[in-house]
Amino acid sequence: MKEAMKGDILPRRIITGVALTGMTIMIFILFFLVKESLPILREVTLLQILTGKEWYPTYDPPSFGMLPLIAGSVSVTMLSALLAIPLSLGLAIFLSEACPRLLREIFKPTLEILGFLPSVVLGFIGMMVLAPWLQEKLDLMTGLNLLNASILMGIMIVPIVASIAEDSLSSVPDDLRDASYAMGATRWETTTRVVFPAALPGILEACLLGVMRAVGETMVVLMAAGGSAVIPKSLFDAVRPLTSTIAAEMGETPVGSGHYHALFFAGLLLFLFTWAINLFAARIEARGRKWRE
Amino acid sequence: MSRMKFQISNLNLYYGPNQALKDVSIDLPESSVTAFIGPSGCGKSTFLRCLNRMNDFIPRCRVEGQVLLDGTDIYAPGTDVISLRRRVGMVFQKPNPFPTSIFDNVAYGPRLHGVTDRGTLEGIVRQSLEGAALWDEVRDKLNTPALSLSGGQQQRLCIARAIAVQPEVLLMDEPTSALDPMSTARIEELVRELKTKYTVIIVTHNMQQAARISDLTAFFLLGEMVEVGPTQEIFTSPSDRRTEDYITGRFG
Repeated sequence: MKEAMKGDILPRRIITGVALTGMTIMIFILFFLVKESLPILREVTLLQILTGKEWYPTYDPPSFGMLPLIAGSVSVTMLSALLAIPLSLGLAIFLSEACPRLLREIFKPTLEILGFLPSVVLGFIGMMVLAPWLQEKLDLMTGLNLLNASILMGIMIVPIVASIAEDSLSSVPDDLRDASYAMGATRWETTTRVVFPAALPGILEACLLGVMRAVGETMVVLMAAGGSAVIPKSLFDAVRPLTSTIAAEMGETPVGSGHYHALFFAGLLLFLFTWAINLFAARIEARGRKWRE
Repeated sequence: MSRMKFQISNLNLYYGPNQALKDVSIDLPESSVTAFIGPSGCGKSTFLRCLNRMNDFIPRCRVEGQVLLDGTDIYAPGTDVISLRRRVGMVFQKPNPFPTSIFDNVAYGPRLHGVTDRGTLEGIVRQSLEGAALWDEVRDKLNTPALSLSGGQQQRLCIARAIAVQPEVLLMDEPTSALDPMSTARIEELVRELKTKYTVIIVTHNMQQAARISDLTAFFLLGEMVEVGPTQEIFTSPSDRRTEDYITGRFG
């Protein structure tokens, strides 16, 4: 008995140690983010940051209104989700419910590999192919705009959303499908009335994960969104989301300046966004569980 | 003996190259309980699933022979499988309620077949739950999750769901094998009531169960239907040696 306990102690210590290390690092990151972003509130008020429409951080005096950046992030995220989610769910339903097994064995891994496509590659395609095409076909001032970035971002999140939603659909037990068929339901009725609702919590999680990825994505928007810090009024306006602002400006900012702290504050906002989405996802998961047990 | 609901002749079923049912011929009378008994893997569940064509979903599964339901071959080309399954309902081995409310579970079939009026649905749900001897236990919580019910209640809910579309036949695939003795007793009692309205065909592992609830018993072995007859006879004086060996517990 003593031997067995001895054997347990070491693994437990290692696991505890690893977990504590991970947690400590996360806490320090958060602490650092907050510590570096708060000094900006000595220069301007929170309200000015959140509602100010002018982002001129290098002017004298500087102006740190982040509303255009927030609007940029929100608009790209929402538009890409709007484009990607219906497509992803269609794909997921096809793969899980309608696709011949052999085709699925090929299709699903391919889809998952597409999910690993470096975003810089997509950004590059956006700059060199999609933007010029949009510019020419729609007769625009520039193809580097909200629509362009959202399409690319949509392409980027389809594999994630479709793949996770497919997992969720195919993990619905066949028992339930059988029950539905045995009542005289068609395949379509079974999919829409039984399988899809049963998989809904997982599907919503898939969508939220996609949205989180879109909120945090930097390279695609940096390269393909046009980068102008104004609140977009149409699909064809250039936008500058929080992420690309940080990426573009951090390198040229004196450490400790107002601009530096403002960029950290933008990072904090992003963190709060994704955290809120995460909380929302957890709530949905909890509600879904209520029906399943 | 009463009118025959199902008349099956020379039914062969293959999973790819393997033959799972060999030349099964049997007639199943209306408004009675027929039990299929036999050891695991003998083909009784497979045979049951032939009667509402649930085997259609299994790839490489091939059926030969004739299955007449009220005189019409359900394997004839052009058969409307949807309306067949509406006439021949099914209850499965493991209770499989949908992860929705009790009400929505029972209302699933009627809604599927076009009933939208709330009052009508409520009537059907109540009748079906009463028919499945579950109404008194759930009348006050129709909107709670079906999966919060006990296993036995869930199985009775599945029976209610199946009878909500008013089928003519009820196929039951070992409906009590996942349940405790009390719940099993309730389901058995229910089966005896159900046969006044429906033709019940039940697969069971449990010979005592077959003896208790069925009018007719068929013994399956290795894909063959060895013997069928009135339950009393099968259990007291079987004509086939293999049946006798099985029911006296020499194997199985």
